[in-house]
Amino acid sequence: MKKSIFYILLAVLVLGACTKDISSYNDQTKKAAVVPAAPLFTDGTLALTNQLANNGGGNITLHIVDYMAQAIIEDNAQYNFQTSQMPITQWNVLYRDCLNNLKRSDSILSTTIPDATNSAVTITNRRACVDIVAVYAWYILVTSYGNIPYSQALNPDNLFPVYDDQHAIYTDLLKRLDNDLANLSTSGAGFAASEDLWFHGNIANWISFTNSLKMMMGMTLADVDPATAKTVVEAASPNAITSTAQNCIMAYGSQPSNNPMYTNFVVAKRNDYIASMPLMDQLLSNADPRLTSYYGKASASGEYVGAVMGVQTTYSTVSGPSTKDSASNLPYVVLDYSEMEFLRAEAVARGFNVGGTVESHYDEGIRQSIKYWGGADSSVTRYLADPSVAYATAAGTDIQKIALQKWISLYDHPDHEWIDIRRLDWPALPAPVGAISGFPNRLYYPQNEQTVNGANYTAAAAAIGGDVVTTKLFWDIH
Amino acid sequence: MYLIVMFMAIGFVPFYAGAQTINLPGKVLDKDGEPVAGATIHVEGQHGGVVTKEDGTFAIKSTLKGTLIVSAVGYVTQRVDITGKTGISITLVRTDKNLDEVVVTAMGIRRAKNTLPYAAQQISGDDANKVRVANIADGLSGKVSGLEIRQNNSLGGSVNVVVRGIKSLGFNNQALFVVDGTPLDNSIMVSGSTTNNGTSNGGLGSTGGYDMGNAASDINPDDILSIDVLKGAAATALYGSRAANGVIMITTKKGRSGTNVTANAGMTLGRIDRSTFVKRQNQYGAGRSDNLATGGFIYKDVTGDGVPDYVVNTNAPRSWGPKFDKSIMVYQWDAFDPLSPTYHKATPWVAPKHGPEYFFKTAITNNESVFLDGANEKGSYKLGFSRINEKGDMPNQNDGRNTINFGSTYKLTDKITVSATANYVQETTVGRNPTGYDGNRSSMPQFREYGQVNVDYKEQEEAYNRAQKNITWNWADPTTTTGLTPFSYNNPWFTANQNFENDSRNRTYGNVSLNYQLLPWLNILGRISLDTYDQAQEERLAVGSIGTPMYSRFNSSFRELNYDLIATMNKDINKDLKFNGLLGVNMRRDAITSVYQSTTGGLIIPKLYAISNSVGAIAAPTETSTPKAVDGYFAGATFTYRDFLSLDGSFRRDRSSTLPVDANAYNYYAISGSWQFYEQLKDNAPWLSSGKLRANYATVGNDAAWGSIQDVYNQPNPFVAGTTSSILFALPTVKNNDALKPERTNSKEIGLEMSFLKSRVGFDATFYHTNTVDQILPIAITTSTGYNSKYVNAGDLQNQGFEVTVYGTPVRTRNFSWEITANWTRNRNKLISLNSGATNLQLATFQASISTNATVGKPYGQIEGQTYTYLKGQKVVNNDGSAYVLSTTTTNVLGNFNPDWIGGVTNNFKFKGFSLSFLVDMRKGGTVWSLDQYYAEQSGILPASTGLNDLGNEKRLPVASGGGIILKGVKADGTTNTTRTAITSGNSLLLPPPDEAYDAGYVKLRELSLGYHIPGSKLGNASRVIKGIDIQLLGRNLWIIHKNLPMADPEDGASAGNNNQGLQFGSYPTIRSLGLNLKMQF
Repeated sequence: MKKSIFYILLAVLVLGACTKDISSYNDQTKKAAVVPAAPLFTDGTLALTNQLANNGGGNITLHIVDYMAQAIIEDNAQYNFQTSQMPITQWNVLYRDCLNNLKRSDSILSTTIPDATNSAVTITNRRACVDIVAVYAWYILVTSYGNIPYSQALNPDNLFPVYDDQHAIYTDLLKRLDNDLANLSTSGAGFAASEDLWFHGNIANWISFTNSLKMMMGMTLADVDPATAKTVVEAASPNAITSTAQNCIMAYGSQPSNNPMYTNFVVAKRNDYIASMPLMDQLLSNADPRLTSYYGKASASGEYVGAVMGVQTTYSTVSGPSTKDSASNLPYVVLDYSEMEFLRAEAVARGFNVGGTVESHYDEGIRQSIKYWGGADSSVTRYLADPSVAYATAAGTDIQKIALQKWISLYDHPDHEWIDIRRLDWPALPAPVGAISGFPNRLYYPQNEQTVNGANYTAAAAAIGGDVVTTKLFWDIH
Repeated sequence: MYLIVMFMAIGFVPFYAGAQTINLPGKVLDKDGEPVAGATIHVEGQHGGVVTKEDGTFAIKSTLKGTLIVSAVGYVTQRVDITGKTGISITLVRTDKNLDEVVVTAMGIRRAKNTLPYAAQQISGDDANKVRVANIADGLSGKVSGLEIRQNNSLGGSVNVVVRGIKSLGFNNQALFVVDGTPLDNSIMVSGSTTNNGTSNGGLGSTGGYDMGNAASDINPDDILSIDVLKGAAATALYGSRAANGVIMITTKKGRSGTNVTANAGMTLGRIDRSTFVKRQNQYGAGRSDNLATGGFIYKDVTGDGVPDYVVNTNAPRSWGPKFDKSIMVYQWDAFDPLSPTYHKATPWVAPKHGPEYFFKTAITNNESVFLDGANEKGSYKLGFSRINEKGDMPNQNDGRNTINFGSTYKLTDKITVSATANYVQETTVGRNPTGYDGNRSSMPQFREYGQVNVDYKEQEEAYNRAQKNITWNWADPTTTTGLTPFSYNNPWFTANQNFENDSRNRTYGNVSLNYQLLPWLNILGRISLDTYDQAQEERLAVGSIGTPMYSRFNSSFRELNYDLIATMNKDINKDLKFNGLLGVNMRRDAITSVYQSTTGGLIIPKLYAISNSVGAIAAPTETSTPKAVDGYFAGATFTYRDFLSLDGSFRRDRSSTLPVDANAYNYYAISGSWQFYEQLKDNAPWLSSGKLRANYATVGNDAAWGSIQDVYNQPNPFVAGTTSSILFALPTVKNNDALKPERTNSKEIGLEMSFLKSRVGFDATFYHTNTVDQILPIAITTSTGYNSKYVNAGDLQNQGFEVTVYGTPVRTRNFSWEITANWTRNRNKLISLNSGATNLQLATFQASISTNATVGKPYGQIEGQTYTYLKGQKVVNNDGSAYVLSTTTTNVLGNFNPDWIGGVTNNFKFKGFSLSFLVDMRKGGTVWSLDQYYAEQSGILPASTGLNDLGNEKRLPVASGGGIILKGVKADGTTNTTRTAITSGNSLLLPPPDEAYDAGYVKLRELSLGYHIPGSKLGNASRVIKGIDIQLLGRNLWIIHKNLPMADPEDGASAGNNNQGLQFGSYPTIRSLGLNLKMQF
């Protein structure tokens, strides 16, 4: 009897232990192993937009282009990327949070079998949308760092991707845009409204956006390769954004779906972001209608006061961001009619055939910018009549006139302005007090790259002329 | 199911009475006629026995025939024939220190130490708990060779327990705790918010969190009989993979014959050790020296009389401001607190009376315990209740722990014994130490890193107490009413009293077992062990604090069940050759779940801590469920030849659910041998008392972390703009790998044990060498792959080392004895290779571009960062002489966090009833990089930022006035730098990162105890009730005899675990404690 009990016990335990497949214990029961393509696209788009809109957080280009100074922690205003960690954040967000999700979204779409709800045209449209956002992200990356992992990137089976030549990447990106344009078709649908944060599924708007992106990218080549720039810009301009209805604007909501600037300016209670003197003085000098939208009044004096970049000041004595600019649901303008008009003005000035005159596009760029920020038509008229603004009488060369007004208009889009200021070398901004380097022409590579992809990093640093912020990128030859 | 079968088995066993017996009385004495207490006596061939009392007496049930076996630690075991005897007196002979010791080895097998073929060290529970530690792991520091204990100064915090160096590149290197056969989950518990933000899975990083302790803190120190440390793989192979980092085997007390009551009460008081806390300069107050006119103050009319006043620049958490001068009257932070007596009043600009050390109070620990135990021939029991309450040294800190321990054995028949142990631990804590560079929760950053030295912290306390509001010294802008909000730092009393965490843990562990002596040589044990706990944590940031006010809760539950069936065989093959065998099956089933939820965007109603009180839309909770199953078979055989040669072999095969199904099984082997050469030498070497040589080889396996083979998606909260809600999915940041294979550790060890001069002197030395290959871990990869890290089989990490224990008894007389025990360990580790072409594995990154790394060809734990640039051996200074030019590379080696060696020396003196014992604990070398010092250099709070320069003028004066300093070095053109530079907040980075790497060595007087024992015999009439009284004065961490790290304890860390070692951020001062304890036995 006793023995038999032990034999039973033995048998139970041994048999139990014999079960080979205990792998169900390792199954994920709280997270999805299979998901649809759309939420990955949405997430990738959101990551990219948040990074561009994260002014003052993981994106300090607002200091580089003198939109804002700092009252207390002056490091970022002095071009100190170490404390802001922007080189790491921008790299990580774009590769990991944006491009990797877009790539997976595309790979799911590529194996989706068309059916009644998702026609073949719809699937092709969706893949094109995914690729366009990706090209935009690559454009930001390649204009931020120079040579970057591209052809071998986004493959976790290759832990040491090489850095590709920046010009070659650029050429390939333009090719991809043409391919996307060929694939987009208004005869089918795109993503659903809630899945597409930029255009809510409007394929016609995606087409004009893609042309606009192409035109912007083409113009970036204007100095280094004028012939290609001309071809690309002229081909894109007619189909690029020609009205505010085609603007690419992303809406934000309340916390935690807020505009990232709200977190930096308001939630963090930093009392650190203040108006920079060059832009403030510019706005004051001709009573710019956008002044009250950009900045608030200094609490101590009730006046609009700008600050010197790189010097600590008491927050109450200078202007901070305006209430409008620090609202949680402030929309983010990815690309709009105003910016396109400035590009067209520049195109005409450079002798590209895009129709109109420099002045007509210049005026329209300014008009659309003021109107976007809530200015009345009368203010536009008055502003354009100001001799320092009016195209005929404004100071400087054609390019300088355009560059100055574009600088003012891109207030919430310092990333684009950073590209322009490197490209157009105007306006001439004073160096911050205590700047730790010359003007940053690029971001240095994330320091992590030295330890995790060392050999390829070293080769890339040598190829571009040194991994320092003052190294000029291939399109920035002046 | 198994549980039911097991209980049925127990229920079915017939119950029959033993043979006729009598109670045989006896007494055990040593050669000097002194009674031997605690000797164990049992009848040969029978289980269970009795233990002698304080006076050496015992009584054992006997059938008046057979042989008694009498053993005691430190004495030769005696066999006494009792046939026909009615009373008995036994004299034991003292023996060689180690030889007759019995140690507890894997699976609870008791073995004589003299034939053990691998290293194992035993210390008694009383020795480990000599100074009444709250966490038993603290009590092991310096007492066991090969064991590195790193404690931190947090209330109820975890203790790092690493045996023979870091073997795993990943996060878990903690030794396994096994209590009476029940493995205890030893994961490091960190706060829910930290875990769920993905910032940490093996301890805390520099960004903060709370250390919730680890398993060792749930073991009742009062209940421990002995601790056996099994160090090498050969010793632990039978436990499988989880024991790859060594096993701390804990045997709890058993019931002794008769009825015994032990009561214990103690109280300990602790104060901070000032040498481990920041020392601030007292000459210059708040502010930044540049950019300020008006004498360094803000110029503003506070009183409204139209005349501008001097206002302290409260928002700069720095001390580069004006020199103290009592004739200057200024408006400080308190002048803007309407309830302050100095509201709108100027006060003299002087150094404060109360610096940040004022924040710390006396820590008070109370502990009380009562143990009841008893035994008769049928069985034994013990029942204990302990209560320990620690009131921390900071405001609003309390950790209370109640423990109930129960254990019982009962002989159903001569052959069948049932036993059970049950332990219940209930811990409730408020205000654990927040860690890291998180000024919202911890006040250490404002004390140690950034601060204003003009602040009087007693006044800060009073300001808080007046209205329980966040009246900070760090107003954002004192010149405006809207600026009267905290800028970077809270009032420390507000932080402690309102931004605190609280948690509770209810843990139950124990086992039931049935032991069946099937045949005289065959014993079968069936056992079910359970370890389960529920944990609840709440964290908060109050309205009014820096940061977004929040409340979060984290509930987790853990359950581990182990089913064991073990057959043991003891058979004498012939007169000379003995065989011991073991065959077993183990099934382990874990169920672990948790839920974490937090408010978003702030709290609607202040002081209401509920998830529903969230300003923003409430995010979905983070749920986890990570069950695990491991099935194993094991076998072991030991052959002993004439008690001096022994050969051991063991084998185990495990199958783990966390590995890919086709590669989920892996094997362990161990082979070991020992030769007690004393037997051959004893006739020729009379000075020799014992001698043994041992050697072994083992290979053990390990599985993967849960969920590391299958990719799944993260689901962020939907993005809501206006009326549109968008669903989001995202790829995880860690790439899993479905091709993982088990990792292996190969280990070899050779050891020598000898003692001399009748065991007055002896040593036990071991050399070991281990290689852990195919390590499974997520390695950091370039994010251009789309991921932060990827699980791979990476690397071969080698450890080799030498550990030695030396002991001696310089004096031993009838009334006085002096014993010394020293432990010394030197471990060297080296990363031999990393797979997939990588040459470096980044372990963690910190502020100032500091990282910890494992680099091929180098030891694990290299600290890397920027360094100076040199020209012809001289440091390069920039052209205006204002700063050193640092390397752009961040991969320069600044040190390594592993010690060169560690050791401890214990001295025990006994004189009649008095005993004095002290332990000196040492660590040589290793590096600690101090973020605290790095930031403090920048903020101007340190004394080094004041004083005179080479001209004899005050350094802080402007260069034009003869101040400033000359940085030693050369300029880019090679000329010696002669440019004087002002030292101000603008260029205060005079000491760059490489200078903040300090030697982490120390020498500490770790423990001191002075005791007096009053035996019952001296208590007169009371001896009928009281068997003995022990009074003890005890001290812990009384004196840091030597250290190189200024203003902090080099041992302190955020928590146990690997990924924060070698770094200090927001470090806590050490508590020196002194206590009194009273123990009474009834």
